[in-house]
Amino acid sequence: MDVRYINPFVEGVGSVFHTMLGLEPKRCKIELGTGPGNGEALVTSLIGISGQHVQGVVVLRFPPATALELAGRMLGTKLAELNEEVVDAISEIVNMVAGSAKAKLQSDPPLELGLPTVVQGRDYRVRYPSKSVWIEVPFESQAGNFSMELTLETK
Amino acid sequence: MKALVVDDSMTIRRIVVKALSMAGIAEAREAEDGVQAVEAAKGDQFDVILLDWNMPKMSGIDTLRALRQAGNRTPVIMVTTEAEKARVIEAIKSGANDYLIKPFSPDQLAAKVKNLVGAPA
Repeated sequence: MDVRYINPFVEGVGSVFHTMLGLEPKRCKIELGTGPGNGEALVTSLIGISGQHVQGVVVLRFPPATALELAGRMLGTKLAELNEEVVDAISEIVNMVAGSAKAKLQSDPPLELGLPTVVQGRDYRVRYPSKSVWIEVPFESQAGNFSMELTLETK
Repeated sequence: MKALVVDDSMTIRRIVVKALSMAGIAEAREAEDGVQAVEAAKGDQFDVILLDWNMPKMSGIDTLRALRQAGNRTPVIMVTTEAEKARVIEAIKSGANDYLIKPFSPDQLAAKVKNLVGAPA
């Protein structure tokens, strides 16, 4: 995976969190990932990206307490359980991060986004496709730590 | 004044409705996709339509084209993650009156609505 693809997504996280959530997340050390899913119960949102020359997936993974805090901030209310409101808010966050990044990637014609999906739970693995290289970008924020995982390959 | 808010995300619809109230528009009807939006616009009169692009069933750009082809001239603001210049041009050519890229603040949306349709009397 071309490392130049990473920054637009990191900037996308910064932009969405600043504008929609009033947060300034700090990026931690970027690592090679194994793909989302490692046994810890998480709220995971993912969205596919495709175009003439590249295709991939961007994934955001939140501990449940962080997902509740972020959804509550977006909706302007206090949320206590992982319900449809939280799922909707978290899926919109990954949608906006991917949208923000794809504009910065300046593909012509523009890249296409799929519809976001949210997975709750543990002991699952996202495989897309099997030879993909995943990059993991951990973040720290006032709402809790979370991570972004990304695979974007040239066709 | 009355607005139609079209977005498959309940979260975004809620944020948009809140921003509309900041712009003085207290009445808002919501639609989850383009099909619902076209139906709503057939049976109801709106002063402004806030329209997402990426939605299931019927995309925002197809919804916009359907509305304009049906003779609907209600001002439309696209509210979308589609930020590329080509997309903005495509929307304006299809009949959009303004364009707001997500992420956005409620203040930005309220300002665009006021600028397009004016503050309610």
